[in-house]
Amino acid sequence: MTDTTSPTSFGAPQPDSPLSPTAANEVPTTRPLGLWADTWRRLRRNKLALVGLGIITVFMVIGMSQIIAHLLGVQLTPYDPNGVDYALSPKGLGAPPSATHPFGTDYLGRDVLSRTLVASRVSMLVGVIAVAIALVIGLSLGPVSGYYGGVTDAVIMRTADVFFAFPYILFVLLIMTVLGPGFVNVFIAIGLLSWAGYARLNRGSVLSVRTMEFIEAARAQGASDLRIIFRHVLPNTMAPVYVAIAMGIGGAIATEAALSFLGIGIMPPDASWGSMISNYLTYVPAGSWWMEFFPSAALVLTVFGFIAFGNGLRDATDPKLKE
Amino acid sequence: MIGYIVRRLFQLVIVLIGVTILTFAILFMVPGDPARVLAGKDQSPEKLAIIRHHLGLDKPVYVQYGLFLERLAHGDLGVSYQRQRPVRQMIWEALPNTVQLAVWAVLIELLGIPLGVYSALRQFTFWDTALTTSALVVWGIPVFVLGLFMQWFFGLKLGWFPVAGSGGDAILWVIPADWTNLSYLVLPAVTLGIIEVAYISYMQRASMLEVIRSDYVRTARAKGVPERTVVMKHSLKNAVIPVMTIAGLDLGALMGGAILTETVFSRFGLGLMIYNAITARDLPVVAGGVLFATFVFVIANLVVDIGYAVVDPRIRYE
Amino acid sequence: MGERLLEVTDLSTHFFTHAGVVKAVNGVSFSLDRNETLGIVGESGSGKTVAALSLLRLVPDPPGKIVEGSIVLKGRDLLTLTEDEMREVRGNDIAMIFQDPMTSLNPVFKVGWQIAEAIMLHQGKGQREANRMAAELLARVGISDAARRANEYPFEFSGGMRQRAMIAMAISCNPEILIADEPTTALDVTIQAQIMDVIREMQGVYDSGVIMITHDLGVVAQMADRVMVMYGGRTVEYGPVDEVYYNAHQPYTWGLLGSLPRLDEVEKQRLTPIKGQPPNLLLLPPGCPFCGRCPYERPGCREAFPELEIVGPGHGVHCWIPLDERVAIREKLPHFMARVA
Repeated sequence: MTDTTSPTSFGAPQPDSPLSPTAANEVPTTRPLGLWADTWRRLRRNKLALVGLGIITVFMVIGMSQIIAHLLGVQLTPYDPNGVDYALSPKGLGAPPSATHPFGTDYLGRDVLSRTLVASRVSMLVGVIAVAIALVIGLSLGPVSGYYGGVTDAVIMRTADVFFAFPYILFVLLIMTVLGPGFVNVFIAIGLLSWAGYARLNRGSVLSVRTMEFIEAARAQGASDLRIIFRHVLPNTMAPVYVAIAMGIGGAIATEAALSFLGIGIMPPDASWGSMISNYLTYVPAGSWWMEFFPSAALVLTVFGFIAFGNGLRDATDPKLKE
Repeated sequence: MIGYIVRRLFQLVIVLIGVTILTFAILFMVPGDPARVLAGKDQSPEKLAIIRHHLGLDKPVYVQYGLFLERLAHGDLGVSYQRQRPVRQMIWEALPNTVQLAVWAVLIELLGIPLGVYSALRQFTFWDTALTTSALVVWGIPVFVLGLFMQWFFGLKLGWFPVAGSGGDAILWVIPADWTNLSYLVLPAVTLGIIEVAYISYMQRASMLEVIRSDYVRTARAKGVPERTVVMKHSLKNAVIPVMTIAGLDLGALMGGAILTETVFSRFGLGLMIYNAITARDLPVVAGGVLFATFVFVIANLVVDIGYAVVDPRIRYE
Repeated sequence: MGERLLEVTDLSTHFFTHAGVVKAVNGVSFSLDRNETLGIVGESGSGKTVAALSLLRLVPDPPGKIVEGSIVLKGRDLLTLTEDEMREVRGNDIAMIFQDPMTSLNPVFKVGWQIAEAIMLHQGKGQREANRMAAELLARVGISDAARRANEYPFEFSGGMRQRAMIAMAISCNPEILIADEPTTALDVTIQAQIMDVIREMQGVYDSGVIMITHDLGVVAQMADRVMVMYGGRTVEYGPVDEVYYNAHQPYTWGLLGSLPRLDEVEKQRLTPIKGQPPNLLLLPPGCPFCGRCPYERPGCREAFPELEIVGPGHGVHCWIPLDERVAIREKLPHFMARVA
């Protein structure tokens, strides 16, 4: 590994990254690693990114299992999240965390832990679906724009500019006001607005890859334009997109929480962390902090996980960053 | 340079037109029939037809858009369903408070630049790790959660600042003229500002790290330039450039954050106005507010771009 | 040649990294006289650039460190100087031209100013005077319309022009020693010759010594009086250019020379590149770094680095193969540039 921080300390720039001790009977030589192995190696050294990855994994597991449980009509929580039990809510203020209810109970006696777990379902869905929508649009328009250039490029990019011109949350709010609150509308609003970022990101990479020789080689073999774009160009430009996806999911989760907090996101009986934060707010001055705390902590932790990992991924795939 | 400005202005006009088209398209998609909403009890076909004609709903789409554009050109953003007042007036009233919040948040945010630079110069030390980790953690906190926390901790627990509300006098909209004004300003501004500082300092650090390792910095050292000058002169200018762009784009996030912050702190302003309108499904106010904010955002970005071109000579020739 | 300007003895620069210690420069010695050009030749990873940076004490620390040796410039050991004193030396007594002119100039400052800065720093001139001198220097390195050009930014210059500007910057304070680190690698072949001419001309004007770092043996043959061949952080052979080219004694040097295409061959022969890959600098054997790639390796090569052996006037080599054996092997090499007479 060229651990020197000076890019030219070994003379001409090396195209390969030297590493990897070889068999003992040879003088070890330099040998390039695959892209993913190298990325993973660099990622491993970034503790924050690893923490982020851990959080993401936990979140994914919980979220996925909740989704599946919901689809199967099974309850995968310690208690019924909607199980009202006034006995567990003395003075209508819920009960603080205890051995039986680690996150306490809310003002209706419902178990906060169970509600928090179930609410992760929404966050997971929003994060994944909204970003997926944005990706589908962005990854179709972006490469097309970059590859063809000219008028196509100009039109698509100007349109992206218009989408970029709106302050993000305001735009989402506008669409939600028009469409009304609800699950599906949230996906649409967030997904529809984020495509521009992915498109632009991709287009830049496509532009630079387009002129490389192997594209010529593909064309010489008779590959059609579309095929060239999606088979040859796209895979080589994905690194920054993966970073954007990680950050995007984090952002989508935060946006949905904000929407629900403001009351125009998810509607009851569905619960998301954002709506829980909003609902339980009034109980805090009275001293019942746990209802507000745990969904907030879950939200903050999850978003942090995606951002930390996203940043780590970016650092690990940045060719200019030496260790 | 002039050429650059002219080109950007041209772009700006195109984008703004696009914005109006998109906004109009969104508004056009409102489910439900506004004629029925306004008709009230008497839903007879004749009355509905009259209302439709009055609202211009019976005309073709592009004509409606033209009317929309024309009204915009005159600064007419419609009338609030809820309050029966011109949206333009409501915006004007709510603006000063939001401007104050935004300005102070940006001032706080600018602290991120020296923080990021310092962090970069002290890479691998404890301070750098601490600052970078905190930056990353804070950056990830959704703004309304942080606001709630600040409210609870500094407002409720410590009682240093009022938990909600706005008031007092300010000079030129921005500078607090009395304690009341200041006290209502602190928590919301710090909430918004801190998250931005985290983001900016992280980005600034990354940029500075890259610049410090660059070939031209090495050339400067090879000339015998003192390290202080290498940092302050040769590196800083280059390192700040990308952060300028980021900060400009980040204004959009700032505006979104302002809505949430004003809502959490019940602080009168553009954001709270929009929020109330959303709850009341008062579309003209929401649309008018968003449109206004967008125009401001676009123009602000133009200003940033021009500033960018002043600092980086390469841009002027693009 | 003229007076001895530089005497480097046993220079060792190591990089202390997570993965281990990289001995980028490992006990290298050389010297430079006034009006002389020393070529340092080697492939990527041989340590030549790190050696040059070490002369200016510009090795990034962390992770790099000059761990041993002495660098004596006109009687003073640079390694004993304080940072302030060293800054006096940089750009003033020793100046360096870097490889990539595209990235070596600061994009947001005018070219003239960047040249003038060194003048203001080391010669105490005022801004206006320095600017004027900068424009003169630009003209001297062959940039036409120099006064106007000095007011422009690097992105307005072509690659060749930028390199000329870098040369102007380097010679601005009449340095005793000019280090050129692959000055033409990033440029078109057609520009290469011009840049070399400029360097040679400036050397004549200022009576400087030049250290020319390159991987291109053709450049060395053109420009250098003496040459030092480096591999894996060590010097493997050095001497006057003619001596080394016609009378090379190290297998690596043979490989380098043998991989050159020759125009004067009657029959077409294949190019013979050196087999194998550059060594992993983290895991160098204690002996000769060319082990593993050397076709003539024998037991003992890996264990200890060969001592210096003088094989001709001013011509030294480090190799365990006994002299007569080497000569015999060399005779049989098909591509070797044997002495005609």
